[in-house]
Amino acid sequence: MAGNIERALLAIAFFGIALPYPGWAHGPTRQKLTETIQIDAPPAKTWATIADFHDMSWLPGVAKTTGEGGNEPDVATRQLTLDGGATIDESLYKYDAGAMSYSYRIDKVDVKVLPVNNYSSTIIVLPAEGGKSTVEWRGAFYRGYPNNDPPPELNDEAALKAVGKVYRAGLESLKKKVEAAK
Amino acid sequence: MNSVRARAGLACMYSAFLSGAPASGAEAFITDQTGDEVSVLDLKSKQIVARIPVLGKPAGIAMARDGRTAYVTSTEGKYVSVLDTESRDIVAKIAIPDTPLGIAAAGRFIYVAGFYRPRLYEIDLATGTIAATVEVGASPSGVAVTQDGALIVTADRDDNQISIIDAKTFARKGTVKVGAHPFGVTIDQQGARAYTANVESNDVSVVDLAAGTLLGTVAVGKRPYAVALAKGRGFSTDQYGGTVSVFDLATLRPVKRITVGDYPEGIETSTDGNSVYVVNWFSNEVWAIDAGTLAVTAKIPAGDGPRAFGTFLRETP
Repeated sequence: MAGNIERALLAIAFFGIALPYPGWAHGPTRQKLTETIQIDAPPAKTWATIADFHDMSWLPGVAKTTGEGGNEPDVATRQLTLDGGATIDESLYKYDAGAMSYSYRIDKVDVKVLPVNNYSSTIIVLPAEGGKSTVEWRGAFYRGYPNNDPPPELNDEAALKAVGKVYRAGLESLKKKVEAAK
Repeated sequence: MNSVRARAGLACMYSAFLSGAPASGAEAFITDQTGDEVSVLDLKSKQIVARIPVLGKPAGIAMARDGRTAYVTSTEGKYVSVLDTESRDIVAKIAIPDTPLGIAAAGRFIYVAGFYRPRLYEIDLATGTIAATVEVGASPSGVAVTQDGALIVTADRDDNQISIIDAKTFARKGTVKVGAHPFGVTIDQQGARAYTANVESNDVSVVDLAAGTLLGTVAVGKRPYAVALAKGRGFSTDQYGGTVSVFDLATLRPVKRITVGDYPEGIETSTDGNSVYVVNWFSNEVWAIDAGTLAVTAKIPAGDGPRAFGTFLRETP
């Protein structure tokens, strides 16, 4: 009974209230992205190439990786120095050699280098058919501009585009490196 | 021998009853934020049975106690969509003066937190308008209301506190400091305790609502998002951990960590109290956990970017 009254009144409310204009200012929504590649090598061999958290030599554009803490979650940190001199500070929060996977987050990056905020990521090697491997690189992040009405270079699309570009270049390079190694 | 077997048979039936689907049907209404929709999951057949387009990146949800209406906040719109859960229609949209996120429902009223100003709004469903407003702490995220409707609690994320609001006067009774960046808040059936999931301190704070004091803190997995309560235990979704941390409500000691999907967020106990449903934001799935055995009993697909921040389960008639 009360439900019926409620419904009738809601119908009135529906027609009586002007809807907000969709272009109004709003808060950001977290974005996510997964890039995948098939590598013609056994999973263990692929994993061996990426297993060291302090070796990002397989990622194009990285000139140097420094850091400490080995592969210990919540301890290990690394700093990537890019070819142009910019740096990205990252920390490891999950590491599972058995599952051939680790997860890290970015602690510090200039949005001009990578237009994201609150970025976390997982890389995992999965067994594929015929003894080959599949590598998945997953990212979760907010756009570079944390407030309403972002400029185009710091909006959701820009963040997705930039991260996707890094992942694709990284996975292509990883594939070449692993498949070339004897 | 016979009696042993009979007892074993009974135990079997009993455990089947415990782990089985509820007697009547049950559904989950999942806000798929990136998908701009609410996907409706049949929890018995374990599949999506309807998709309701809801624009503006829906995130928060409150299910009416009778299960006939669901209220959904759109974080990129300034409105709450009112969903008829039977017909699957949006029957109303209620304008909110700020970006809404957390939401709770109690009879004639819904309570919506405006994230930026920051305020809690009381909306009278009889008129579809704001009946009262109260100032709360910075970046209010989760909202919960006691079963009797007397108290409302907001998790004021950036002030590391909860606000306790008297529903009748709509005045703030007080605040209680909790862990760092509380996001989801859950109140028990008795209205005695509130539990906050603290994203930055990786723990759950337990607050005595009558006394307005912190009772204790439980360490959980990384970046906890929200808490569910079932069978004398608490369950937190740990976004970075990819786990559900289980703890004992009496001792506040950890019991177990259950591996779930990627970036678990929304979590709620089924109406029969036997299952806990976990919404995995990254992997687009809803998992069921048996609240007694703590085993994963189902994995159900959802739409893209499911959050289901709030109460999202209902029994079907």
